[in-house]
Amino acid sequence: MKKGEEKKFTTVSIPTPLFQKIQDRIKGTGFTSVSSYVAYVLREVITEEPDEEQPFSKEDEERIKDRLRALGYLD
Amino acid sequence: MKKVLVIGMDCASPKLLFEEFIDDLPNIRRLMGKGVHGKLRTIIPPITIPAWLSMVTGKDAGRLGLYGFRHRRNNSYTDIWLATRDKLKEKALWHILGDNGLKSTVIGLPPSYPVEPINGHIISGFMTPDTNRQFTHPPELKHEIEDLVGEYLFDVVFRTDEKDQVLEGIYEMTEKRFRVIRYLLENKEWDLFFFVEIGLDRLQHGFWKYHDPTHHLHEPGNRFQSAIKDYYEYLDKEIGKLLEIIDDDTIVFIVSDHGAKAMKGCFCVNEWLMEQGYLKLRKSPEEVTDLEKADIDWSRTRAWGWGGYYARIFINLKGREAQGIVPPSEYDEIRDEISTRIMEIKDPQGIGMKNMVLKPEETYNICNGDPPDLMVFFDDLSWRSAGTIGHGSMYLPENDKGPDDAVHDWQGVFLIYDPKENQGRDIGQKSILDIAPTILKAMEIPIPEDMKGEVIEW
Repeated sequence: MKKGEEKKFTTVSIPTPLFQKIQDRIKGTGFTSVSSYVAYVLREVITEEPDEEQPFSKEDEERIKDRLRALGYLD
Repeated sequence: MKKVLVIGMDCASPKLLFEEFIDDLPNIRRLMGKGVHGKLRTIIPPITIPAWLSMVTGKDAGRLGLYGFRHRRNNSYTDIWLATRDKLKEKALWHILGDNGLKSTVIGLPPSYPVEPINGHIISGFMTPDTNRQFTHPPELKHEIEDLVGEYLFDVVFRTDEKDQVLEGIYEMTEKRFRVIRYLLENKEWDLFFFVEIGLDRLQHGFWKYHDPTHHLHEPGNRFQSAIKDYYEYLDKEIGKLLEIIDDDTIVFIVSDHGAKAMKGCFCVNEWLMEQGYLKLRKSPEEVTDLEKADIDWSRTRAWGWGGYYARIFINLKGREAQGIVPPSEYDEIRDEISTRIMEIKDPQGIGMKNMVLKPEETYNICNGDPPDLMVFFDDLSWRSAGTIGHGSMYLPENDKGPDDAVHDWQGVFLIYDPKENQGRDIGQKSILDIAPTILKAMEIPIPEDMKGEVIEW
């Protein structure tokens, strides 16, 4: 896809009962559509926890080594 | 289609589980009475990593390229890499099931951090830095767990003399884990549910001398005499609660990664290599020292070692190590010479040890990763190996780094309970590599050709 041609929105499928559940849930909440609510919820999850693997930091690695040492795995 | 629940009891011993304690384990006894069971021969080396990974992939340590918790990085003398989850390159059961549209829940598998996304749920194991990290998949599961049990516990420190504290920690950790297990069994979709309870391993290492009259440090009538049995009974009760949740289409596996037995002592592999003239220091340490902190004369050192449940010996090879001196043409000769001498080592009473020395390339079909040059198992695993020097002796009656009374044994356990069968048989020893294909067969999923284990029939 060339630059400038990216679609801003796309469609995902969710089970109809779930769709209806969300429809009920957003009544009176200010969310104007199921899509906007779903996008909001997903953004919360995705922003909070990036889906890319977090590599071990040097500090993490040292902590794990200390623990493994205490457990007898690095004698 | 059948579902499968795998109850992983890290370090569970067939002698304790199936013989000594079974009369007081009503739930496991019931499963034994209807299912099939036996000893489960573990992998070489018999350590938590790689053993659990061998069980869930059906691949040996050479294929996995994982020979323990640590490995040398780029043939460095001191730099190591750890066997974290991201080092696993083979497909585990949940990857294969995911490819077939089936869901798995995996809890506490060593190693499972950093957490990977799978078709299902994951809670990582004891190599997780702490609970501030993302230790679940999906990420929001972490909040559900914390709502349920507060702070989730991955492990306890057991090498201490504060035994009451160790016991308290183990029970708190296990109770929380089983609460989470019940919650996930009941509230999430799963086809395979696989969990490992590490508490049993910690308890056996920390309390074996109190329990086992044949242990050289055992004191009859001590107040922790029944600590190990009590915990098996506790696990049995918790398992009983899980059995109430599952349905008749769920096959239950109880498995361990290796067994356990009394530790006779610690054999100081580097003290021995020094005595034999393979390892040279510029200056002898005045106190007990880790080898990497010692003043090693690499220009005269031909071999050195690492300790642990088995010893790894490395040859200071010219062209491979930064200051290597052993010509590649002498590589096999020196390995054979060291092996021959190791086989002649006697215990402090002058009795021959049942030692075993293996060359990785003769042990495995493929040696991926960073294998050692020799793998050494002292006295059929009864002696641990210490890598530290400065003891003034090759033999230590106790562990060099905090109290630890147990070593691993080659035989762990398996028990398979199919609610629709009535067998009640000991079907003999099976291999840890048999578990993955057996689970796939039970779930009617094709077994990959490169899984070498055999399906356990019942």
